[in-house]
Amino acid sequence: MPEYYLALAALLFCIGLVGAVSRRNLFVIYMSIELMLNAINLMLATFARAQNDHGGTVMALLLIAVIASEAAVFLSMIITLFRTNRTIDADFFTNLSQEQNP
Amino acid sequence: MLYDLFLVLPMAIVVIGAIVLMLLRFSPWLSVINRNFITIVILGISLCIDVLHYAAAPDTFVFVDIFGHGFVVDTFATLFDMMFLGGAMLTLLINNEYFKSRNYFDGDFFALLLFGVFGMMILAHANELISAFVALEIASLSIYVLVGYNTANPKSPEAMMKYIVLGSLMGALFMLGVALVYGETGSTIIGDIYQHIASHPHTNHTLIAVGGLLMIVTILFKIGAVPFHAWVIDVYHGAPLPVAMVMASTFKIALFAITLRIYLIDFEPVYAVWSQSLQIITALTLIGGSFLALIQDNIKRMLAGSSIVHAGYMMIALCSIGAGDKLAASAIMFYLISYFLSSVGAFGILSFLTAKEHKHLTFEDFRGFGFRHPYLAVMMTIFMLSLAGFPSTIGFMGKFYIFVSAIESGHVYIALLGVFVAFVSIFYYFRLIAMMYFNKDEGKEQEFAFDTSTTLIFLMALLTVTGGIGMGLIPYLPSADGFMDIAREAIGSLVR
Repeated sequence: MPEYYLALAALLFCIGLVGAVSRRNLFVIYMSIELMLNAINLMLATFARAQNDHGGTVMALLLIAVIASEAAVFLSMIITLFRTNRTIDADFFTNLSQEQNP
Repeated sequence: MLYDLFLVLPMAIVVIGAIVLMLLRFSPWLSVINRNFITIVILGISLCIDVLHYAAAPDTFVFVDIFGHGFVVDTFATLFDMMFLGGAMLTLLINNEYFKSRNYFDGDFFALLLFGVFGMMILAHANELISAFVALEIASLSIYVLVGYNTANPKSPEAMMKYIVLGSLMGALFMLGVALVYGETGSTIIGDIYQHIASHPHTNHTLIAVGGLLMIVTILFKIGAVPFHAWVIDVYHGAPLPVAMVMASTFKIALFAITLRIYLIDFEPVYAVWSQSLQIITALTLIGGSFLALIQDNIKRMLAGSSIVHAGYMMIALCSIGAGDKLAASAIMFYLISYFLSSVGAFGILSFLTAKEHKHLTFEDFRGFGFRHPYLAVMMTIFMLSLAGFPSTIGFMGKFYIFVSAIESGHVYIALLGVFVAFVSIFYYFRLIAMMYFNKDEGKEQEFAFDTSTTLIFLMALLTVTGGIGMGLIPYLPSADGFMDIAREAIGSLVR
């Protein structure tokens, strides 16, 4: 029954997409993006099982490595931003907006 | 096996050099200039080996027992490798003065830059979608960190935040596209997908069309096409100048390398599905980019806005590839080189000027510049003319090939829009020239300072002009037509 797994993956992906677009806390945005990538992992594993081909599982493993390296960069950025500004609200950062740089 | 090792040697040298520089992070006897020099030497050795490869014209998969058909060395990839390496070397050399003037450039900066170049080279060689994704992430992650490198200035981490949030969101979309393509074809190797489409002519290929669309959305985001352009100006503004130069030139070349490989081989049978949307995005990019460039007062932001417009010009040729034009792919490669020369030159002058003072240059700062720095002003004028596409510069030749390919493939309206946008762009480029020459200033004329940066800027101005007038006058150097032949040959090695 690969359809159920694909439906679950699509649901998780949509939850992640909505979270990444609508939330303002950088941590929550980051977790939403992770959720999207892990939904794709589930999708790859499902396709691999349905087609009886192990390529998909290997891709999922590679994707986990990419997610981990992205986590390192993202979290260190959040720490840097918090150190200087004492906030991680995405709406707070307006130094580069068009109004301030005509 | 040994020959395979020789074929991957350029990439191996770059990544080993990056690791060595990372290990030498805390060595006290290496100054910034020394590190810059070591980086340039590493890139130079790699470039020499690539030239050897290019002469031998290899066309083979390497390490077939490990990677399968995922990693290819052909003329196309080798030519792009040479463009990345040469571009990164020129960028580093031009920024020599800038590195000296700022204290935040340490060992990691150059190591990260080399990792980024390594990712771009793998991207050009990847013949498989997962390898392409991993390579794209290696390059992007290095660029994310480089954008936020100046932690003392609040603008720099903010630019990184804007870039990484949107960039990783788009990376997820690319991966979703790959997963969908894998779901239908059961393979991610580019040739296999083509075989699958060709052997099932009567199915709809919905998943491949949607997956291809998602992948091109990611690539359009990275080159800054208009519905996905929100980050471009802010990130270029906040990033340190050398990084903005790498993003505007070398990284953009890398993205077009993978775009050409995917869309020349792979999705030819499903072009009809998304060629319409690509044309609309092209028109939006041209118009929106011009609008954004028009309203800027800061030169760096203006150049960022104009980079969106230039991406739009290259997308005109991308539309023509969909319509089956033979000239279009090589026109893109020529345009990439012409844009590289003129934009890196213009950014180079900015970096040379800001090396002396710590502020962002606006149009007002260039008042009377032609009287204070007559030689630099002439070079800036050449770069601006080339960016605007004035005849007798290389920018004109690039635009000429692009518009010819668009008209040949029947996209007359897009070509007309491109010409109109080129007229609009004269406003913001010539505004700078007028500012430099038509306003008298009290400042005294200053000596022309001879050092690495100014010499390199002079060389690039020279190349910009000779590329337009005709390099055929000089023996042993390829002319514009000659380069088009080289590019066509490289594209020919791609379509098997």
